[in-house]
Amino acid sequence: MTAAPTPYGKLARRGVPLIDGIEKVTGRARYTADLDHADALVGRILRSPVSHGDIVQLDVSKARAIEGVVAIVTGADCAHTYGVLPIAMNEYPLARGRVRYRGEPIAAVAAIDEETAERALGLIELEVKALPAYYTSADARAPGAVLLHDDKPGNLERDVHHTFGDVAQGFAAADLVREEQFSCAEINHAQIEPHASLSEYDPATGRLTVQTVSQVGYYLHLMLAQCLEMDSSRIRVIKPFIGGGFGARVEALNFEIVTALLARAANGKVMMQLTREETFITHRARPQTDIKLKLGMSKTGRFTACELQVVQRGGAYAGYGIITILYAGALLHGIYDIPAVKYDGYRVYANLPPCGAMRGHGGVNTRHAFECLVDRMARELGLDPFAVRRANLLQAPTRTMNDLVVNSYGLSECLDRVEHASGWRARLGKLPPGKGLGMACSHYVSGAAKPIHRTGEPHAVVNLKLDFDGGVTALTGAADIGQGSSTMVAIAVAETLDISLDRIRVISADTAITPKDNGAYSSRITFMVGNAAIDAAKNLKTILVKAAAKKLEANPEDIECGEVFRVGGGDQSSLSFADVVAAALVDEGAITVKGSFTCPPDFHGGKHRGGAVGSTMGFSYAAQVVEVSVDDATGLVTVDKVWVALDCGHAINPLAVEGQVEGSVWMGMGQAMCEETRYLEGLPAHASFLEYRMPTIAESPPIEVQIVETHDPYGPFGAKEASEGALAGFPPALVNAIANALGLDLNEIPVTPDRVMEALTQRRRQARLAKSVKAAS
Amino acid sequence: MTAPLADFHLAQPGTVDEAVAACAKHPGSRYVAGGTDLLVNMRRGITSPDQLVDLSGIDELTALATDAQGMTIGAGVTIAALARNILIADKYRALAQAAAAIAGPSHRTMATVGGNLCLDTRCIYYNQSEWWRSANAYCLKNRGETCHVAPQGQRCHAAFSGDLAPALLVLGAEIDIAGSQGQRRIPLSELYVEDGKAHLTLAEGELIVAVHLPAKPPASRYEKVRTRGAIDFPLAGVAVALTVKGKTIGALRIALTGTNSRPFLLDGTDAFAGKALDDKLLQAIDRLVQKQVQPMRTTLASANYRRLAAAALARRLTANLFAEASA
Amino acid sequence: MHAPGPQPKKRLLRLKLNGRWREDAVAEKQLLVDYLRDVAHLTGVKTGCDGGECGACTVLVDGEAVPSCITLAVRCEGRHVETIEGVAKQARLSALQTAFHEKLGTQCGFCTPGMIMAAEALLRRNPAPSDGEIRAALSGNLCRCTGYVKIIESVKAAAGQLT
Repeated sequence: MTAAPTPYGKLARRGVPLIDGIEKVTGRARYTADLDHADALVGRILRSPVSHGDIVQLDVSKARAIEGVVAIVTGADCAHTYGVLPIAMNEYPLARGRVRYRGEPIAAVAAIDEETAERALGLIELEVKALPAYYTSADARAPGAVLLHDDKPGNLERDVHHTFGDVAQGFAAADLVREEQFSCAEINHAQIEPHASLSEYDPATGRLTVQTVSQVGYYLHLMLAQCLEMDSSRIRVIKPFIGGGFGARVEALNFEIVTALLARAANGKVMMQLTREETFITHRARPQTDIKLKLGMSKTGRFTACELQVVQRGGAYAGYGIITILYAGALLHGIYDIPAVKYDGYRVYANLPPCGAMRGHGGVNTRHAFECLVDRMARELGLDPFAVRRANLLQAPTRTMNDLVVNSYGLSECLDRVEHASGWRARLGKLPPGKGLGMACSHYVSGAAKPIHRTGEPHAVVNLKLDFDGGVTALTGAADIGQGSSTMVAIAVAETLDISLDRIRVISADTAITPKDNGAYSSRITFMVGNAAIDAAKNLKTILVKAAAKKLEANPEDIECGEVFRVGGGDQSSLSFADVVAAALVDEGAITVKGSFTCPPDFHGGKHRGGAVGSTMGFSYAAQVVEVSVDDATGLVTVDKVWVALDCGHAINPLAVEGQVEGSVWMGMGQAMCEETRYLEGLPAHASFLEYRMPTIAESPPIEVQIVETHDPYGPFGAKEASEGALAGFPPALVNAIANALGLDLNEIPVTPDRVMEALTQRRRQARLAKSVKAAS
Repeated sequence: MTAPLADFHLAQPGTVDEAVAACAKHPGSRYVAGGTDLLVNMRRGITSPDQLVDLSGIDELTALATDAQGMTIGAGVTIAALARNILIADKYRALAQAAAAIAGPSHRTMATVGGNLCLDTRCIYYNQSEWWRSANAYCLKNRGETCHVAPQGQRCHAAFSGDLAPALLVLGAEIDIAGSQGQRRIPLSELYVEDGKAHLTLAEGELIVAVHLPAKPPASRYEKVRTRGAIDFPLAGVAVALTVKGKTIGALRIALTGTNSRPFLLDGTDAFAGKALDDKLLQAIDRLVQKQVQPMRTTLASANYRRLAAAALARRLTANLFAEASA
Repeated sequence: MHAPGPQPKKRLLRLKLNGRWREDAVAEKQLLVDYLRDVAHLTGVKTGCDGGECGACTVLVDGEAVPSCITLAVRCEGRHVETIEGVAKQARLSALQTAFHEKLGTQCGFCTPGMIMAAEALLRRNPAPSDGEIRAALSGNLCRCTGYVKIIESVKAAAGQLT
């Protein structure tokens, strides 16, 4: 297939507001906590006050005796684990026997009101025999450390060892070899909507209905069936409006299963609204990461070899851990041409809330280390940072050493765009003191080509319904969580049929109505669901064209589809859309068509263990330049401006693409500058929006977005993902800009004022020491 | 719904006397003005008074007037009103700068001068939920035996984080306090003591009524360091006021917040009168600040950073202010 | 020893809500956010944090933006409380609502009601704000989706400063 400019784009060129935007700006949008729950019981969770220990006693009898307490559930009520990978489900919704982090759910109460529920929690008697607890990877891996999970020696969830090419030879051939260590703090998604779940169990029919904040209703549906031992046909998971996800809600979460357990135990309806603190404790975000990176480079800036070691502090349970540690190595590939790569990854258990997937899953911290080190080596060799990146570009189509496929590749154009827009050449090195410019590149997958659940089903299915009213309803299991995926589906259908967007309704993520979908993560929806939507629309078009042709007594090949169906070449005979629908419904009734999309096995990644992770049919690419001012008296860093270019193949909705790029770059800024989770002996000290410092509008910079379109041969209209690719470039671009401003290389993020000040103090100390040594000699 | 507050009665007096009487009637009552500090703490179960005495309906607390003696600012004047007052911006610049730097705009709409002066001290072990504090056996400031910041010590190290106090201290503010014994006026500095658990010298039932500022204040500035550009409490906040005499310093006052359990005037700045402002003097200021601040591990940012940042701000503000005042 | 405290009680709260006067029996300890969501069913008012940190619950009280999650409902006696539900007049979107929709000042939408109310308070007081004034006025409202770029654009568009 060749990359050709898409013929589509009437709607897209001007950008389309979200089809559910009116509800959001009027306050009519109902999120889980807004759903009618006047008749629901209030659910509350008892959480472990200790980091690690064996539950010696758990007595709920006093709590149960209170008037108004309708149900209490504990670990005894669910003997099934849940999780992500079928091979790594080691977590119970409510602890059984052992607790492994402070805040782990132990029991839950459903009561007639909040006060009663709280009082009941206070009467539950819990005794835990404490075990040694570990809060760092090093402590957890130390010889003799007590195991969090008996089957995981060394408290290692997974170690990965991949080598591609001849690394030793690569380093030997290098003109410069450097090794650095980097540390990236744990961060959290911090979506503004706190977690909530509304569960209703009807004992008369044995059915369970769950309305919840999930990004992947299907995964939750499976876990509910497993944990509640219910036939999955009796379960329905509905997505209301969702106030952001960023990966927080990709897994089935403990409180969702707990709410369902409570609803069944109470034979009724239970509303569970977590506090912000509990939402933080539920976690599943980007792990604290220690990185050791060694890179070989020729005088001209060509990479010769790369050796990467990554240690992730994964928290107490598996979650997405195996995938995260695999991504951290796999995403070294697919962006530059590196002749030899060795990767050693270690995912470690610790007595902290479990980590999981977060925007840019697995790749962000690796990219940070890589782009920082590349810049430092370029400086040492007297090379321009842009030139070094350009010296190592890939040529699409290509297959990487670890068997990832690159079908379209716009990094070169991204580099050109931001270099020009930022005035890099004219301005670098000529800024006033305390100001600096830095740049970095990044990439991300457009959905995993090999899904977690290998069922043999297509990667995405979309149904379209067309009925007497002339309205097209698109049914998709893909969860719109604010990223605008339902709008994307509507545009894909409207463009394919060349009809008005207003004709289209999208129903998103209700397991009783919409076809199964793997949900909102790994930036899969545009690529996979977009393709499925186009396929469905094409199938609908075939039916309509046939009906129009019959009515117009013309050949189907001559019919132009749209709001008005015409016979090509002449406009004497035409039919309105309504007329065509009426014709198509004769003898048939309401039309339902299906479209699907499957990633062929050729794209499923390497045959090596873990080789499926990182596989995708389309990588997005991004380059960005960050301009900073640093106050060396207080250590405060200000980002003055960001220029970013993203190759998303084709912007189905440029407005939404811009929004996603701005949001992802900004989220990268939060990680780079001020966000981090901090635990005091396992207690989350950051669990509020006062201590977890996501940037405010006051210090958030202007972000200038450029969209690069490479027209991917397999993407819908040539599109690839746009929501994650630009994130990972921000932290290194920032650190590189600080280096440019102060000549100070920082190896820890976030670069909070205290870290910057500490580095400045250390540099002064070293300078003084050097001076006194010199004076003495 | 949000987690329910413990029950309380809300008294809504119309005068200061009524407020004092309402408070006296039920010991353990708390005054509430804007509520941006107290209600947050109540929501976290840190405190649960039986009665709140609402000061927001008392007109005499909202006066903002100037006369020959200077300016009187009622304790009930909101931070937003303070921040947008042109006279304050012109004459008492540090105060305007401090007001504009407090929390976020909607907090400033509600929060008051009196509330900010009486702000509870803060600590990472204290400003947490009931579950959190109970899992940590509470702390010396609240229901517990140990200060987790300095477990060997005898006192609570929670830090005072109000922004207005240092500005008012360098401006030489006095405050009127009302209580069951009537009213008294004290220098603002006497409101505070270095104890995180009881940092205010107010007797039970007393409240601040007004702040008085002198008619001819020195030039002043305030700056704080914080991680973000809004919302955050100061990791360190510094106010400086100075007069210039010829080419030397006439008088210099420096006050700090965020570093200790109380806001305080830096000792020893009198010695700088009559001296030229040079690097040596700035280094002396730096040393004074570093010596007198006592930041502890009450914030997630390091204590040493707060010490260094406080000194850096003091140096910079002094230098800038001197340059401006000399111009 | 403390004297026994007075019994907590409900009292009749009379206020103007989105232009209409109403009366409700309200506990003295009830927070304005809970009154608005649970009693008046105005669920456009959001709760995003555990008290006073995110701005999602921002409403107008007598035209000023306040965090309803740390405001006692009874303190709004006789005052005019406006929420996102009262912004559209006769179902016509306000300039801010239109701009947030068309300029993508909203993504997930959860911070949007509070953000629009804070912006509404700003524009009433300052119909032509600068970028700096917009940043200052919205600096207590956290958004996790947009990076704020299109929020600033939306407010400027609503103020007629963008096309």
